[in-house]
Amino acid sequence: MNAFTGGVRAIVVVGLLAMAPALAQAQSVTMAISSEPSTLDPQKTMDGGERRVNDNVFEALLSRNADSELAPGLAIELPKRIDDTTWQFKLRQGVKFHNGELFNADAVVHSVTRIFSPEYKSTVLGDLTGIKGAEKVDDHTVNIKTTRLDTLLPARMYWLKIVPMKGSEDPSFASKPVGTGPYRVTEWVRGNYVQLERNPDYWGPKPQIEKARYRFVSEGGTALAGLIAGEFDFVDNLQAEFARQAPQVARRQGLEHSFSAISTENPATKDKRVRQALNYAVDKEALAESLFMGFAKPARGQMIGDKSFGFNDALKPWPYDPAKARALLKEAGAEGSTIEYVVPASRWPKSKEMGEAIAGYWQAVGLKTDLKVLEFSQFLVRLRDRKVRPDVIFSSHNNALMEAERTVQVFYQSIDKATSSSIVDAKADQLVAAAGNEPDNARRKAIYNELMQRGYDEAWFLFLLNTDDVYGLSKRMTWKPRLDNKVFLSEMTVK
Amino acid sequence: MNELSWFVVRRLFQGLVVVLTVTAIVFVVTRLIGDPVAIMLPLDATEAQRETLRRALGLDQPVYLQFIDFLRSLFALDFGESYWQHRPNIDIIRERLPATFQLVGAGMLLAVVLALPLGTVAAMYPGRLPDRITSALSLVGLSVPLFWLGLILIYVFAAQLRILPSSGPGTFVHLVLPAVTLALPSAGRLAMLVRSSLIDELNAPYVKTAVAKGLPLWRILGVHTYVNAAVPTLTMIGWEVTRSLAGHTIIVETVFAWPGLGLAAIQAIQREDLLLLQAIVFVVALMVVVINLALDLVYKFIDPRISV
Repeated sequence: MNAFTGGVRAIVVVGLLAMAPALAQAQSVTMAISSEPSTLDPQKTMDGGERRVNDNVFEALLSRNADSELAPGLAIELPKRIDDTTWQFKLRQGVKFHNGELFNADAVVHSVTRIFSPEYKSTVLGDLTGIKGAEKVDDHTVNIKTTRLDTLLPARMYWLKIVPMKGSEDPSFASKPVGTGPYRVTEWVRGNYVQLERNPDYWGPKPQIEKARYRFVSEGGTALAGLIAGEFDFVDNLQAEFARQAPQVARRQGLEHSFSAISTENPATKDKRVRQALNYAVDKEALAESLFMGFAKPARGQMIGDKSFGFNDALKPWPYDPAKARALLKEAGAEGSTIEYVVPASRWPKSKEMGEAIAGYWQAVGLKTDLKVLEFSQFLVRLRDRKVRPDVIFSSHNNALMEAERTVQVFYQSIDKATSSSIVDAKADQLVAAAGNEPDNARRKAIYNELMQRGYDEAWFLFLLNTDDVYGLSKRMTWKPRLDNKVFLSEMTVK
Repeated sequence: MNELSWFVVRRLFQGLVVVLTVTAIVFVVTRLIGDPVAIMLPLDATEAQRETLRRALGLDQPVYLQFIDFLRSLFALDFGESYWQHRPNIDIIRERLPATFQLVGAGMLLAVVLALPLGTVAAMYPGRLPDRITSALSLVGLSVPLFWLGLILIYVFAAQLRILPSSGPGTFVHLVLPAVTLALPSAGRLAMLVRSSLIDELNAPYVKTAVAKGLPLWRILGVHTYVNAAVPTLTMIGWEVTRSLAGHTIIVETVFAWPGLGLAAIQAIQREDLLLLQAIVFVVALMVVVINLALDLVYKFIDPRISV
């Protein structure tokens, strides 16, 4: 061995020794999610598994901060509305996609055009309704056009992930996606896992976790066992029954509100006093305690949470008062009448059990309940039937845009105007229309508040629960859940 | 054409009828009970949005036209594209089949390996302690619900003892718990059957003669009785394999997050992915037919007296 190779060896050895602590610190986590992504194309489909992975791989023009307020993302500031139907976004410079493509106005225009293209057949356009298109102003400025005045456009853009121009046209994009986010997909073994790795060229702060593996475990008991065994660091949607056994539980009041729509037209529930009695009769606290182990609270007389725009702070949960319910039924001459209650057997946690418990509460105040627990697709047929409304039909609402607009359009308008309404009320229709045309935030909020109040006073709904999002964590994990139920690896740290 | 070839052709034709009937039933039932469009779109999607998607998926056509279309593509071995994964169903099935074969193969092998000695011991001492223990074990094995058994095994061996992984595919050790779960109920049923068929044989005059001749026990069992008991046992094994493929794997694969055909079936049902579900049912029905045909040929081989 000559002096030169000896020197090289020494350097290599020293170098390896120096790297050793860095290697030891390389943090990797395993995340159990309940379903495998159907695709990793972020614009294609409504899919929980896809979202769990891609929220770390792609970014939108806007983000939300820890308080759930809109904040800059790929745009450097919140957009400005420059006329009734145009919002202007200033873009971050020097951001690159994982394949090296530059993020710029062209990428934004492409992303908007792509998701709305009819041949592409995206099924996630619901929250994006009203966007007409995007125009490039210069390399780092984009105008988003809306079909009409749309105060929600910034909130909508939080849900539109930006894809690269060239990369997204590659046929492999759906299995090897390319974004700008803090993590990139390195491997997807179908049926087994998706592997993410920290993006070394990320424009933002460097997250602690270097590698993450997403496993797909649909059975809650199996996921819990994996968590106890130390195989998983994170379990999505932990069932409340398992919370006590999990090494660590993270919970946060979520956006999901269960309720039931009461028909204002059917003979059995036409009388407001009957609708109020249906609310008084049900012990919401008890449902939250016994069915959700306390991982839920009675909803505050509306289907949106206190962080959402339009939330009416004056409303309180509907009190449990069976005596009052009985009195109201007597007044209305409705004692002993039969109420049809349609409930889905699945889709929302504990819907069937809630339906059965509620039928029991109604029974207790002297009503008969014709409880119909239906398979979800059969349930949808009833929900969508505009002509024959059930007296009461169970539903659940999750307003991800965090502004009342969608809530009131879907539930607080007359049957002929809304997709899932059971009411007929000219005043409500007028208010919903007015809110849609009102650019002034204070005035719009006042209209929403009035609508919420009216829905409560008229008892158009049986207000039920606002459920928590519950997650299982390993002992070594530190993480705080977000209100919008997104799970960012960049917000997690492990010991 | 000789007798055997005729037999195979006849059975293949019968099999085809079975496969088509099963597929047709699934086709009609899935279309009666669900609307994939309703599941795929958000709850508050408008009627116009739903109509667009319905047209895009070809669901606006009358059911009989959809069925003819479906049959035509089946004969071209084109299973269509999955609504759920947006890629050809045949790719999904091809990915999932090996996992199911592994699971069923290992599970059934284990079941036979457990059942043969247990059943034999029980048959040799009918009514005595070894028999009672075996029968009790078999009874427990065949009556535990698979779902519960799987979770209990995971809880004990993964969460508490931490000697086996809780779920997922990967290495050989990942296969242990799902295979054991699949095997135990089958082993219970098989052991009972081996026991009763052996008892019948052991009481037969030829065995008494053999014993009187002074033949050793292993020879009596190995050369005579096992071969005679093989036909009912093989029938039962075939039946267990069929049950596993067409039912039990759905449960076991779900509990263990094992990415086989059964898990794909349940996912297709949850997402109302009609084309994928039909394709899976078609493939499973085909496998069942092939297994039965193979068994018929094996019977003929074991016992030439069986007429085909």
